[in-house]
Amino acid sequence: MTRTDPAARVAAAPVAAVRPPLPVKLVIAGGFGVGKTTAVGSISEIEPLTTEAAITEVAAGVDDLSHTPRKTTTTVAMDFGCITIDPTLKLYLFGTPGQERFGFMWDDIVEGAVGGLVIVDTRRLDDCYAAVDYFEHRQIPFAVAVNAFDGKVEHSLEEVRWALDVAERVPVVVFDARERGSVRDALLVVLEQALARTEA
Amino acid sequence: MADGTPPPGPDPVGPAPAVRPFLVTAGRVAPTAAGRPVPVETQVVATTEGLAVLDGLSFEQHDIVAACRQPQSIAELAARLRLHLNVARVLAEDLRAAGYLVVHVPDSGVIHDASVLRRVIEALRAIPDSRGVIRDSD
Repeated sequence: MTRTDPAARVAAAPVAAVRPPLPVKLVIAGGFGVGKTTAVGSISEIEPLTTEAAITEVAAGVDDLSHTPRKTTTTVAMDFGCITIDPTLKLYLFGTPGQERFGFMWDDIVEGAVGGLVIVDTRRLDDCYAAVDYFEHRQIPFAVAVNAFDGKVEHSLEEVRWALDVAERVPVVVFDARERGSVRDALLVVLEQALARTEA
Repeated sequence: MADGTPPPGPDPVGPAPAVRPFLVTAGRVAPTAAGRPVPVETQVVATTEGLAVLDGLSFEQHDIVAACRQPQSIAELAARLRLHLNVARVLAEDLRAAGYLVVHVPDSGVIHDASVLRRVIEALRAIPDSRGVIRDSD
């Protein structure tokens, strides 16, 4: 014979209709037009979605409603996609604007990420310095992926590594953001980095 | 993609919403008075109670609870309902407080666990490339 504890019933939390998966997040960073959204779209099971976030609101941390919140001055678009691993696990890929001035936005997106992929256009290496610095300072496992536009890479990987001054342990690879298999392999490089970190 | 040429794909922003984004949150921009914003991948899912009162909810609240029949991230919710990310956060928190949504803030320790990472790696390896060929193992 079972009895229901009345106290437990009162305290019972609302029940989710469906159990959600555990979300694992990877961040894809790089300058404007470098292929972030293309890469996400190549492997995501859904068409990449876009949401807007305003960096001043994220940065201001308004904690008192009596204060006038700072006006939104910059809205950034964030593209993302996902891959269902199984019913209990889902991989999210968030493309984040790479420019330095979006630093606040980065914290908001990157918090909790297992790793990052910095996409590089060798014609515009400057655009990815901020992302490389960010991941290094936050000690987030990451890899650098040179996007081979039209199958061409203008500099050797050693030149890219030298120019970016990344640590020896950071993988630098060439990939094609349009090719699913190529994006998959680049993401695997990041995940292997993340896994190695847990086992270090 | 030369300088000045937008990347291919759909218009990344879409039409501007007709209502000023934070009107629906009564001007609130942070989800809680003290806490940090929940991560963008935070999963939200409707409760049985939320679904039971669905017809009595209005506008965004109705749309959010209805959409969350299927668990999804705050980011997906915002994108699909064309809400500003922080508006989605605020409204989700309101609905959680009302008992209509469950908000699963991811446990960083669990997600960074080696066994979880291995499962993701294995599943990714099984994804065929565009030609439908399964990649050889390492």
